[in-house]
Amino acid sequence: MHEMSLVQGLFEQLKSLAAENNATRIVKVTMEIGPLCGVVVDSFQFGFEILSAQEPMFKETELVIEVPEVTYTCTSCSQEQVTAGERPDQCGNCGEFLLTTRGGDDLLLKQVEME
Amino acid sequence: MCDSCGCPSPSDNHDHSHDHDGHSHSHAHNHEHGHDHNHSHDTATKTVDVRTSLFAANNAMAQANRDHFDQIGAVALNLISSPGSGKTTLLEHTIMALKDEMKIGVIEGDPETDRDAQRIRAKGVPVVQLTTGGACHLDAAMTHKGFHLLEKEPGYAGVDLLFIENVGNLVCPATFALGEHERIVLVSVPEGPDKPAKYPKTFGTAQTFLITKTDLLPYFDFPLEEARSEALKANPSLKIMELSATTGAGFDAWLDYLRDLVRTKKGEKAA
Ligand SMILES: Nc1nc2c(ncn2[C@@H]2O[C@H](COP(=O)(O)OP(=O)(O)O)[C@@H](O)[C@H]2O)c(=O)[nH]1
Ligand SMILES: [Mg+2]
Ligand SMILES: [Zn+2]
Ligand SMILES: [Zn+2]
Ligand SMILES: [Zn+2]
Ligand SMILES: [Zn+2]
Repeated sequence: MHEMSLVQGLFEQLKSLAAENNATRIVKVTMEIGPLCGVVVDSFQFGFEILSAQEPMFKETELVIEVPEVTYTCTSCSQEQVTAGERPDQCGNCGEFLLTTRGGDDLLLKQVEME
Repeated sequence: MCDSCGCPSPSDNHDHSHDHDGHSHSHAHNHEHGHDHNHSHDTATKTVDVRTSLFAANNAMAQANRDHFDQIGAVALNLISSPGSGKTTLLEHTIMALKDEMKIGVIEGDPETDRDAQRIRAKGVPVVQLTTGGACHLDAAMTHKGFHLLEKEPGYAGVDLLFIENVGNLVCPATFALGEHERIVLVSVPEGPDKPAKYPKTFGTAQTFLITKTDLLPYFDFPLEEARSEALKANPSLKIMELSATTGAGFDAWLDYLRDLVRTKKGEKAA
C-alpha cells in the first residue's frame, strides 16, 4: 500500500527533474531498492505501472530495479555474509542465529533518462 | 509541508529554516540532482545521475520533529502493531498509572474514525486524532501537523511523554520515521509467536518489543522463549517486555521503562 505513496513522491521528483532539463518524457528510471527497506518490489512496480499510465510524460517509461547487497555480520564470530538475496537464517561459520545487518535499507532514485 | 511556512512540497528541494508557532526548525531539502552539461543538447535523450533517497523528505521532516521534541524536553514514542494488539488499551492503563507523575499527550492515527481518541480523552489527557483517509501508516508530515494541533489542546504545554499510536499495520509504518525517540512494536498472544520472523523490518527498526495480553497465555500456543529468540534474531539489541493490561502483570517494568526514558530526557535537556 505505501509503495503507491512512494511512487507518487517519485513522480513529483521526476516531473521537476524533467522541467529543469527541458525534457517532456521520461524514458528510463533506475531505482535501487534495498532488500531491507520495507518496500515490496512487486508492489512498487505495480504502483509505477498504474501511475505511469495516467500521464503522457511517463508513457512507456522503462523501470529498472537494482537490488543492492546487504552485509550480515555474526554476533558471535564476526563472520560476514554478503548477499542481495534472502536473509540468511544463521551464521555459515558457527551457526549463531543473531546477525546484525549493514546496508540495504534505502530506496534510491539512481538515474533518469529523459528526452 | 507545514501550514504556516509556505514551503510548497517535499520534492521542491530547498534548505530553509523558519519560525512559526513559537518554534524554529529547519527543513533539509536535497537538491542533489546532477547537472551534467558537458554534452550536446541536440541529442534526443539525456541521462542524469540522481542518487536521492525516496525517504529523504520524510526523514528530514522526522529529524525536524525529533529536534522539536528534544527542544521541549519530551520523549516521543511510536507504537506499531496489527489492529487489535492492545495499543489503545495499553495507553488507557498507562495514562491512569502515570498521569499524576508526568504530563502525557497522545497522537492517534487511524484510517477513518476518532474512536481511539475518544477513549484517550476520557482518561483526561490531551489527544488529537489524525485520520489518514485510508492510508496504511503515519508519516513525519502528519506527525508534525499532529503536534501542532496538540499545542492547541489544554494541558499539553510542558508535555513529558508523547505517545503516537500508529495505524494498525505491522508492515508499512516501519518504513516511515516520525521523529520518535523509540519505536515500540506490540504483538498480542493470540497473534502467535512467528511475527518477528515474518516482519523482520518492523522488528529490525524497533527499540522495544512488547508482548501483550499475557493473561491469554494459557489458552494459546505462544511459547514466550520462541517469540523472544525470534525477535532477537531480527534485532539483537531489542528490549523485550511482556504484560497484560487486564491483570496488570508486567506493568511495573513497563512503567519503569517509561519513567526512565522521561528522566533521561530531562537530564539531557538540563545538561
Ligand atoms: N485479554 C486481554 N485483552 C486485551 C488486553 N489488552 C487489550 N485487550 C483487548 O483487545 C482488544 C483490542 O484492544 P485495543 O486496545 O483497541 O487494540 P489496538 O487496535 O491495538 O488499539 C480490545 O477488545 C481489548 O479489550 C489484555 O491485556 N488482555
Ligand atoms: Mg487503537
Ligand atoms: Zn502500506
Ligand atoms: Zn558465527
Ligand atoms: Zn512546525
Ligand atoms: Zn517548511
